[in-house]
Amino acid sequence: MSINTTDSVEGFLQGEKEPSGSWIFIALGVSISLSFLLLYSILYPGQDLPVISDLVPVFSGVFDSGIWFFILGTMIGVFAILGRLLLEATSE
Amino acid sequence: MDTVLSTMFYFWVSLFIVFLLIQRGLWIFSDVAKGTVSFMLEKAIGPGADLVEGRVGSGARSWIMQGTLWLILGSMFTFMSMWLSHDPDALHSLASWGYSANTHELSSAGVYATLYGSVSMLIIGSSFHIIPKLSGTELASETNANLVSFVWTLSVLIMVIGSQNNLILDLEIIPIGVALNTVALLAVIMNHLLTVANRTKNLALPGWLILIALLSNPVLSIVSIASGAVNDNVGQWMTYHLFGGTFFFLGVAGVALYSSSIVSGNPLWSKTLVGVTLFGSIFTINPFGDINGQMVIDVFGPLAESNVVSFTNEDMLSASFLMALVSIPILAFSSNMLVTMRGSDMFVDDPNSSGNAELNLGSWLIIPIAIGSLFIQTDAVSGTNELTGISNSLSMMSGWLVLVPLSLGAALSLYPELVGRHLLSQTRARWGFWMMAGGAMFGISITMIADFMDMALAELLIEDPSALSEELRKVGSVMFYGVVIGSILHSLNMVSGMFRGDLISKKSVTSSSISVESYSLVSPTTVRRILASGADLDTEVIPTGENDEKGSATKL
Repeated sequence: MSINTTDSVEGFLQGEKEPSGSWIFIALGVSISLSFLLLYSILYPGQDLPVISDLVPVFSGVFDSGIWFFILGTMIGVFAILGRLLLEATSE
Repeated sequence: MDTVLSTMFYFWVSLFIVFLLIQRGLWIFSDVAKGTVSFMLEKAIGPGADLVEGRVGSGARSWIMQGTLWLILGSMFTFMSMWLSHDPDALHSLASWGYSANTHELSSAGVYATLYGSVSMLIIGSSFHIIPKLSGTELASETNANLVSFVWTLSVLIMVIGSQNNLILDLEIIPIGVALNTVALLAVIMNHLLTVANRTKNLALPGWLILIALLSNPVLSIVSIASGAVNDNVGQWMTYHLFGGTFFFLGVAGVALYSSSIVSGNPLWSKTLVGVTLFGSIFTINPFGDINGQMVIDVFGPLAESNVVSFTNEDMLSASFLMALVSIPILAFSSNMLVTMRGSDMFVDDPNSSGNAELNLGSWLIIPIAIGSLFIQTDAVSGTNELTGISNSLSMMSGWLVLVPLSLGAALSLYPELVGRHLLSQTRARWGFWMMAGGAMFGISITMIADFMDMALAELLIEDPSALSEELRKVGSVMFYGVVIGSILHSLNMVSGMFRGDLISKKSVTSSSISVESYSLVSPTTVRRILASGADLDTEVIPTGENDEKGSATKL
């Protein structure tokens, strides 16, 4: 890990550069959580995973499938690109 | 003569005539043709030309950025089609807006968005940079290239809408999109031909690959209509595969071969292998893609009749023989790419090697996927139909693990030179690569395992679908979502890089990845850059002194 540039607050040190190996732990975390999601249907047979309409009842009958998590995720990504484009173009 | 050989014969003759015309010109009409085309590209579009910028590289940039944005839509449609294959009612709430989604239509939208929207736009965008470079001149009309990119995007949008509902106000929508697409493609071809006509040096072979790929599209359309192939069941299958083998494979091969040299800094390994790739792709049948010609029926609309594919013995023999020969151009292409990029282990950490990982991935995977596709197509052509169940998954693999990585890798490798800046973040580029590659590889492979299970159950005449197969499809579609995330990361990285990416330094572009025995150190540099130039632990670094003393004339 590179610690040539650091933030220092009363003895607390934090490297500013990200160690290249940290992503392994994030990937490991994602894999384990996916495994647990797969186990869910075995541990609780007959019960589907909660969807948006279960969490926010106002969307009942609309967002009642897990696919909406993914569609909303994509929409956030697309709007992030559009927002970045507008922000960069008008920042001068 | 059977349908397969007659269609191919007309196609070969037409392409040969076009090639001769490019080489020899139009005799005394050459200057008139140049003036007319130049007028059509610039002046004839009138006030439309004022809507876009005409700076050098702006055309290529516009095509590549739009191609990358189409990647998000293409992957999203494909993901949704995979999800709906195990949960058909997932999007039932959209019915209140009058839209009823189904897996087949969404899959079709994914194919149009990916092939026409993303892969084609990335190929054409890269070609707007490559052809002028190889011709030693500037692009004939940057303004036209820039403007036409939006026409192309509009045509793809119409095709995607048509794939959901092809009949609006009694009009077939997809053929309208294809007609608009052809107009845009003709403008692209004219632009390239005028650029090549003004060349100051011989066009290198990757340039010919791209030119023939672009020209094959209208030539094949005319040949198919004139020979009646679009109305014949075998002719439709042939047209589909000739189109895939020439327009898509040759186009991707042309831009990828050029980029392999750019990312590695090495000269392209073999000219002969490029020639074999070019002629092999024209004279053989590429097995990638669907096992029927449904897309040709959709694209040609009223000109094509709907038929069930049924091969005669003669057609079967010719088609199987010509498909088996495709291993020659594919091996030639793959080996040329991999040997050219030898030693370039910089991956995506080095800002000078964007796209290297994608190009490597596509070059490796093209061989196993081509072999798999060969089995599937031979099975379909012979009428055995034992492997039909996995044809869709394998077709998706050829798109997402060969065509997309190669075209995206080429575009990423040209990005610094086009934009004048590097991508915003190499970490994000690395994440984008892993998400796309991992998502496509695992997602489609797991779906293919489910396909195999369903095939086995169908063979045993068991009607109830397997719960495990459904679970696997669920996992496969979730895994494929990685491709969507990867597309978003790449797009975000490219958009941000245009404004805030590190400026490129001219020195860094031309380092070779072939191992060197000695390295002359003329100025302070990083160990990474020395290693990227091909040096290893045994390379001797020789400091070369420099001083600021005034020089004098050299004595002869």
